[in-house]
Amino acid sequence: MGDGKQVIVKVKRQAGPKQPARWEEFSLKWRPSMNVIICLRDIAESPVTRDGKKTTPITYDSNCLEEICGSCAMLINGKARMACSALVDQLDQPIRIEPMSKFPLVRDLAVDRQFMFESLKRVKAWIPIDGTYDLGEGPRVSPEIQEQGYPLSNCISCGNCLEVCPQVNEHSQFVGAAIISQVRLFNMHPTGAMNKSERLAAIMGPGGIQDCANAQNCVHACPKNIPLTESIAAVNRDAWKQALLGWLG
Amino acid sequence: MSATETQPDSSYFLRKLHSFTGLLPVGAFLAEHFWSNSAALVSARKYDDVSQDLQTIPFRLIVEWGAIFLPMLFHGGYGVYIWWRGKSNVSAYPWVGNWLYTAQRYTGLIAFAYIGWHLYTERWLTHGRSTYATVAHDMRNPWYLAFFVVGVLASSFHLGVGVWNFLCKWGLAATARAQQAAGRLGAVVGITFSVVGILIILSFRLNWHPFAFYITK
Repeated sequence: MGDGKQVIVKVKRQAGPKQPARWEEFSLKWRPSMNVIICLRDIAESPVTRDGKKTTPITYDSNCLEEICGSCAMLINGKARMACSALVDQLDQPIRIEPMSKFPLVRDLAVDRQFMFESLKRVKAWIPIDGTYDLGEGPRVSPEIQEQGYPLSNCISCGNCLEVCPQVNEHSQFVGAAIISQVRLFNMHPTGAMNKSERLAAIMGPGGIQDCANAQNCVHACPKNIPLTESIAAVNRDAWKQALLGWLG
Repeated sequence: MSATETQPDSSYFLRKLHSFTGLLPVGAFLAEHFWSNSAALVSARKYDDVSQDLQTIPFRLIVEWGAIFLPMLFHGGYGVYIWWRGKSNVSAYPWVGNWLYTAQRYTGLIAFAYIGWHLYTERWLTHGRSTYATVAHDMRNPWYLAFFVVGVLASSFHLGVGVWNFLCKWGLAATARAQQAAGRLGAVVGITFSVVGILIILSFRLNWHPFAFYITK
């Protein structure tokens, strides 16, 4: 089945951050259950454009192919999503594939998401459990907190929430919904809560939670269905209490 | 860890102040303003009485500047900065919240420009002594009338979405369900203000006083 059926793919290519961008069109052999990563692999196997010109394989990030590593986020038909779960049969053709626009470009579809890692470090998105001596057991985590925390722990730092956010742009350093949600996750953990005020202070710093303007695109774009707008509201509640009432003691 | 690390950024305070002033006193003043102007729906005389009461409040200049002009100037001025820093992408992501985000920015600009003009024509040019007759006279100009309608609708919309934003952004409506309820509340506020505002405009334009029967001899 499907013999002779073709998939038309247009890829925005750029040899480097300062190089000019160009579009290349490819015609690929359709296969069942094909996704966008398969398209990019097929192009790598025989990098020839639709009009027969030889070209180079396309640079892109991908790893797990099951939407849990977060590396293959890109713009597919103009929308930020994971390439591995973007099924060809559900996409309008020609399929337009572009790199995410809110992160520095490396090459072709590969972007540098270091900003997210730096932001996670800024808000101390971890639970300190190491000491110079045995710290003993931590407090028990109630089933209620476990249930609230688990969905938040699914974040794969793909960056889709930043890509779709109108507040993330060249005028602002907004850290984005994913980072705010991690602040909530680590603050709700009883051991993590020991650094709660530091995390809240960091998330009220430059580019912090105040830059959220409630467009709520993040929650629609999240491939892991994380309740990002609830996280933002929860952290907002803790943040202003610390900022505005903290000095009262 | 240094002490400064626990201090929020000044942009945090400015942004929070922007959010807060939108509701209090700016939003509250809009409610008061629509309420007072609704007197026109009773009679021209009633409007002039209410108007004169307000024009003769004690400490008028301090109240006007402290509770109305300065907070509005800050909310509008910082709002322009917020507008400039946002980059709307509603064509790529046409979700309802995203439309509201974009509309909130543009209605804010329109409302700010309108309020400036409104203050100039109805407060400055009349030396703070507007009467039913002066307002009705302005409304006869179709351009004035059109700008009144646009200004009232933009301000009402901006306040309605603002109520929703406020409840979400202060974490008062934290769950998805609570945020939906906050959205409905915002819609009620926006629609109520729009309707009342348009009724007031109609009253001036058509010399229409539907509550005139309240006055008994």
